[in-house]
Amino acid sequence: MAGMRITVCYLYPDIMSTCGDHGNLETVLRRCEWRNIAVDVTELRLGDRLAPDAADLIMIGDGGESQQHLVAPDLWKVKGECIREAVGRGAAALAVGGGYELFGRFCQPERGAELRGIGLFDAWTVRQNAVVSGHYAAFSDAHADRFTGELVVRWRDTLLVGFENHGGGTYLGAAAQPLGQVVSGHGNNGDGTEGVILGSAVGTYLRGPCLPSNPALADFLIGAAVIGRYGVADLPPLADDLEEAARGDAMRRARDAARAARAARAKLRLSAFAQASLEHGSHARTGVVRAALHVSTRRRPAAGVTLKRSGNAPSGGSR
Amino acid sequence: MCSASRAQLRVGASARRAVAVSAGKATKCGTRRLGNPDGTTVPGIVTLAIDPGALAGLLAEIPRGAVLVTGSTGKGTTCRMLAQVMRASGLHPVVNAEGANQNAGLATTMVARAALTGHLPPDSLAIGLFGVDEGSLPEVLRQVSRPKAVVFTNIFTDQLDRYRAPAYVKALLEQAIQTLPPDTALVLNADDPRVAFVAPEANNPRLYFGVEDPGLGRGKADPTSDFPRCPRCDGALTYACVYYAHLGHWACRDCGMARPQPQVRLTKADLTGAYSTRLLLATPTAEATLEIPLPGLYNAYNALAAVAAASQCRLPEQSLTAIEQTTTALFRMEKVRVAGHDVYLALAKNASGYTEVLRAVLGDREPKQMLLGLNDYPGKQPDTSWIWDVDFASLTGLIPAPVISGNRAADLAVRLKYAGWAGPDGDSDLAIEPDPVRAFQTALARAPAGQPLWVVSTSVVLWEVRRWLADHGYVRQLWREQTGAGIWQA
Repeated sequence: MAGMRITVCYLYPDIMSTCGDHGNLETVLRRCEWRNIAVDVTELRLGDRLAPDAADLIMIGDGGESQQHLVAPDLWKVKGECIREAVGRGAAALAVGGGYELFGRFCQPERGAELRGIGLFDAWTVRQNAVVSGHYAAFSDAHADRFTGELVVRWRDTLLVGFENHGGGTYLGAAAQPLGQVVSGHGNNGDGTEGVILGSAVGTYLRGPCLPSNPALADFLIGAAVIGRYGVADLPPLADDLEEAARGDAMRRARDAARAARAARAKLRLSAFAQASLEHGSHARTGVVRAALHVSTRRRPAAGVTLKRSGNAPSGGSR
Repeated sequence: MCSASRAQLRVGASARRAVAVSAGKATKCGTRRLGNPDGTTVPGIVTLAIDPGALAGLLAEIPRGAVLVTGSTGKGTTCRMLAQVMRASGLHPVVNAEGANQNAGLATTMVARAALTGHLPPDSLAIGLFGVDEGSLPEVLRQVSRPKAVVFTNIFTDQLDRYRAPAYVKALLEQAIQTLPPDTALVLNADDPRVAFVAPEANNPRLYFGVEDPGLGRGKADPTSDFPRCPRCDGALTYACVYYAHLGHWACRDCGMARPQPQVRLTKADLTGAYSTRLLLATPTAEATLEIPLPGLYNAYNALAAVAAASQCRLPEQSLTAIEQTTTALFRMEKVRVAGHDVYLALAKNASGYTEVLRAVLGDREPKQMLLGLNDYPGKQPDTSWIWDVDFASLTGLIPAPVISGNRAADLAVRLKYAGWAGPDGDSDLAIEPDPVRAFQTALARAPAGQPLWVVSTSVVLWEVRRWLADHGYVRQLWREQTGAGIWQA
C-alpha cells in the first residue's frame, strides 16, 4: 500500500467529541499507519468548508443536544451539500450518535424547534418519550428517557459491539438500508434495526468508541476510502488479538445484561400477578395458589377462577 | 399555658434530636462491628430518618459557621489542606469524610461530634469545613445556616450518566448560589470558564484564584479538554495558555469576555517531583513558598484553592505553611509499604483525572512501574469511553512494563495499543490480568527491588487491592483507621 495517501475530514473535533469519539479517528490513523497508508487529517470547525473532491473519509462524532444546536445550522448551510457530493462520489463516512441524527433529514430535540439535518440519510429522529422539564426532574429521571447499555448488531458476517446512550429514536425511510440487525440492545428505535448505510457512509448509535472494538468496520471504512481514491484496495490483515478480547468481553456483558433484564421482567410479571390476585381473591392463600397456578399453567388462565368455585362447580381446577 | 406548651414542644424536639443522634451513634457502632466500611453515610441516614431537622440544628450550633468546597475534583484534598491551615490558626475544623459529601454524610460527621444529648459540646473555636457533592449543593445549603464562603474548584465532564453534561452541573450550582445569604463569599477558580462567572446576577463578594506561571502552560489545546464555550455568548474560547484540560487563560473571541484577574495567584510551581511539589503563592497581602507532599498540577490547584479560602476567612498568613503537613488520603497517592516497595494508590476516574495523575507521577520523565486499572460500574457508570480522551500518547515509553487490570482491562489494553504503547501485533511488555489481586502481585514482582510501584485506577480495582493489603496486614482496616483530617470517621 506504499505511496497511498487518503484524506480524513474530521468534523467539529472540539464540539462533537463527547464520548471518546476521537478514538475512532485514532483507530483509522493507526490501522493505516500499520499498512503504510499515509493519512492527512483535515479538521473542520464551525464555518470551515469541506472540499468534496479531497474528502476520502468523513467522520463526525457524538454530541448532546446543546452540541447539536451549535453545529446543526453550520452543518446544513456550510457543509451539507459538499458531504452529500463527496459520498455520492464514493467517499466513506462515519457518523455516530448525535452526528448520525444530524446526517438524517431532521432531528427533534428535547427542547426547541426541530433541527434540520443534511439529509444524507433518508432517516429522521424524534424523542421517544415526552420529557419532564426542569433541571431537577431531568436529574432524577436521567435514565428514564434514554436508551443506555450494551448494543450488539449483526452486520454482514460479523457482529458489531458497542455502547448506546441516546434519547432519540431514529426511523428509516423506505429507501434507506439499516446498517444491521440488533442482536442485543435497542438500536434505532426498538424495531430491530440499527444504524443506516448508504454506499460507504455509515450512521450508527454504536459508541464506545466503535472502531477500536470493531476492526472489521474500521477496515471497511478505510478500504472504501482507498477504493474511492485509487479504485482498488487490498488491505493486508492485522493481528487483532487485543481487539478480539475486548469484543468478547463486550458480548459477554451484553449477554449478562440481557439475562438480567429477562429475569427482572419475569419477576415483575410474577409480582404484578400475585398482587392482582391478592387484591381480587377472598384471602391471601387463594391468591398465592392462583399465582402459582398461573405460572405453571399459562394456557389455562381460568384455572384460578375455577379453583375458587371448586365447591360448587364439578369441573375445573382439579383436573 | 401557652408558654408551657411551647416549652413542652421544645422538650419534645430536643428529646427527638437526642434519640436521633443516639440512634446514629448506635448505627455507627453496629456497622463497624459488622466490618462494613460504609460507616460514613448510614448513621446519618438513620439520624435524619428520625429527626429530619437534626443536620440543620447541629450545623447551627457551630459558632463560626461553615466553609463549603464544591466542584468536580479536588474537594477532599482542598478541605484537608484548608483544615491544616485552620488548625494552625487555632480553630477546630469539623470536617466531613471524603466521599460522604451529601446530607447523609454531613449528618454522620455531625452525629459523631455531638453528645448523646443531641447537642454539640460547646466550642467557640469550631468551624465547619465540608466538601460537598456538586449535584447536592442546593440540598446541603438548605441545611447550613451560616455559610461563610463557598469554594468552587472546577467543573469537568464527570459522571456523564448522572449529570449528563457540565452545563447541567453549572445550572445546579447557579440554583444553589441564588439561595446564599448576600454576604457569603464565592471563592472561584478564574482559570475555569465554567466557574469564573457562575451565577453572574448574584451580588455576593467574589475572590478569584488562578495560576500565573506561563512556564506550566501546554501551548496548545489539551487532548483531555472538553472544550467549554463562552459563559456569556456561547462563542468559541481562545486560550493564551492552557494549564490542563480546559483550565487556563481564556477569552471569548466573539464577546470579549475573559478570565478575571485573580487576587490569589500561583506564580511559580516546580512539578518535576514525583512525590512533592514546590509552589510560590501570592495573596493580596502576602507571599508564601510551600513544599506540598503531593505531586502534580491538580494538587497545586488544590493548594491554591485552600490558600484562597484561608485568605477569604482572614486566617493568619503564617498558618499557610501548615499545608505542607497535609497527609494523603485514601487512594489519593496513598502510600503503603509492601515487601520492600513503596506502593502508591491513586484514584483516577475520568479522562482529566487519569491524565493528571499520570502526568504528576511522570513529571520527571523517568520510567516507572505501574498497574493501570479500569472498571465499569454496571447501572451506575457503564460507559468507559472516556479512556480515549486520556493523554496516553505523550507518555509512551515512560511506563515500560505496565500491568493492566479490572473488568475492562481488555478495553484499556486496546486503548494503549492505539496510543502507541504496543506494536501492530500487540507486541509489548503489557501484561493483562483482569483480577486486581493477581495483577497487583504480578506488578509487584515486576518492580525492581526497592523500587516504587504506582497503582492508578478507577475505584473497584483499588478497593480489591486494598482489601488484600488489609488482609495481609499492610494497611489497617478502614474503619479502624486514624482520623487524619476527619477522613472516614471523626
